[in-house]
Amino acid sequence: MQNNRTFFQSFIRNPMGMIGFFGVLLIVLLGIFAPTIAAYPKGYGTEILVAPGSGMLFGTDNLGLNVFAEVVWGARSSLYVSAIAVLVAAVIGLPAGLISGYKKGKIGSVIDGLIDIFLTLPVLPLMIVIAAIVGSSIINVAVVIGLFSWPSLAKVTRNATLRISEMQYIEAAKCLGIPSYRIIFKHILINVAGPVLVNLTLIMATAVLSESGLSFLGLGDPTTWSWGAILKKAWDASAVIDTPNPWWWWLWPSVFIMFYVISFNLLGTGINEILNPKSRE
Amino acid sequence: MNNIIEFKNFRMGFKDESGNEFNLLDDISFEIKEGVALGVVGESGCGKSMTSLSVLKLLPSGVTIQGGDILYKGDSILDMNQEQMEDIRGKDISMIFQEPMTALNPVHTIGFQVGEALKVHFPGMKNSEIKANVLEQLELVGIPNPETRYYQYPHQFSGGMRQRVMIAMALICNPKLLIADEPTTALDVTIQAQVLELMKNIKQKGSMMLVTHNLGVVSELCDEIVVMYAGCVVERGNIGEVFENPKHPYTKGLMAAVPSLDSKGKELYTIPGIVPTVKNFEKGCRFSPRCEESSEACKGIKPELTRVGDNHFVECWKYNNSEGSPCQK
Repeated sequence: MQNNRTFFQSFIRNPMGMIGFFGVLLIVLLGIFAPTIAAYPKGYGTEILVAPGSGMLFGTDNLGLNVFAEVVWGARSSLYVSAIAVLVAAVIGLPAGLISGYKKGKIGSVIDGLIDIFLTLPVLPLMIVIAAIVGSSIINVAVVIGLFSWPSLAKVTRNATLRISEMQYIEAAKCLGIPSYRIIFKHILINVAGPVLVNLTLIMATAVLSESGLSFLGLGDPTTWSWGAILKKAWDASAVIDTPNPWWWWLWPSVFIMFYVISFNLLGTGINEILNPKSRE
Repeated sequence: MNNIIEFKNFRMGFKDESGNEFNLLDDISFEIKEGVALGVVGESGCGKSMTSLSVLKLLPSGVTIQGGDILYKGDSILDMNQEQMEDIRGKDISMIFQEPMTALNPVHTIGFQVGEALKVHFPGMKNSEIKANVLEQLELVGIPNPETRYYQYPHQFSGGMRQRVMIAMALICNPKLLIADEPTTALDVTIQAQVLELMKNIKQKGSMMLVTHNLGVVSELCDEIVVMYAGCVVERGNIGEVFENPKHPYTKGLMAAVPSLDSKGKELYTIPGIVPTVKNFEKGCRFSPRCEESSEACKGIKPELTRVGDNHFVECWKYNNSEGSPCQK
């Protein structure tokens, strides 16, 4: 188990990775414990547009709802969206990358061509179109984001697989009569875990950006609190350009989006650095 | 004696982008009998490794079979599908590689890797049985403390120990034929001696095909020898006959190039020239441009494998009686 120990040891010594890890941990805790941290914001409050301070940590919006509660519940839907998007991306992208990297010849080039085509698609306009067609429930939005995140994952997986499948131990496994699916999932997948893991954390980050973007454009789920939805409401109420400006309304969700993306990016960079033996020295 | 593997005029090669066909292995014919160790020798790039991969039907993509056949116990390997091949690989024929440092998967334990072939080929076997088998096999190939080593990873093993693990992996299902592709090349001399000793012991159990360019290893381990040059079998036969009485000029050259105690102080013999690349193989005998004994006859037509002894064949115009003497051609 020497391997594992060195992984965790070097992870603890990697400041970037640790910052990212704690950032992610904080958001995960916020998301999980949202119901106990703050009541679900609904209806109308009595005091509207109260500046942050005593009682109202992040202030209130134009309906008198607590912005802090909105942000906390937003963390929950952001995590939900990214988790589903990552799941969808992994279910499509991993097999696509593994198979196209392992099976050279026709199957490989066909899948690789598909990956390249999907990589060149203009993602945001398509997402908007599809989100508009399938309707804006939060799960639809998540699946749509996942459907457009898999090509990068597949490409990364494919490149790593191409390298690993040239290794002699894969040839040795073939010589032992081990069937292809077993070689792919038992021998190659675990060897490409590094770059794949990094890419998955990046998808976590970009999924939230996409979700916020879609929500801001009004294609998100209007019944769920998400950071993008808060921003949209603030924008619709002209809170961004009003004087005096209720800055707390739009600032906090933006800060959290940034925080989320940066945390996951740092976590990904950290994992990457640790798994790369060259940078471990 | 039954043949485990029989090459029958096997030809293979590849096509380049513009559709030109090249030939890598030309008219390979030899057989591996039950219980016999066969050495395949030749310079780098003469097709030794291609020959051994052909037995397992694990040729690189883009390679085409141009003729002939390979028989495993009388059945054509070339006609078998993927599933039938997977069944044979590891169970009946297995292979050990040159590079012990890269031939083990770094992320799996030794126990898992050695036992995997059992798991795949005998799906009914219990995990405890597999483990017992693996431990026994590790013990057999001379790995101390197999109980502890079972749970360790390849990076905790030295080169020699890894080679032993690979041998254990290849032997776990008691294959009828073991192909060893330069099993000692990457090891230092003392470890080489130990691994050779081990190979000598395991050789008793089944047939072996030893691919190497070390004639010393062949004389130590093998009963029969196949000498290859540029994709052709130039000479083959009983090890004693070929070593004592090499017929083909290339075999003679190889023998002469081995340093011996008598050659102390003298310059070592070398065969002039280099192995031709596949794009400029000679039409006739492929060795003729480098051959000291070549004549005009060698250029045009390829000689056929001719019997020159009890179990001794050579492919050279000098001995080709079936088609008349080379001078008349």
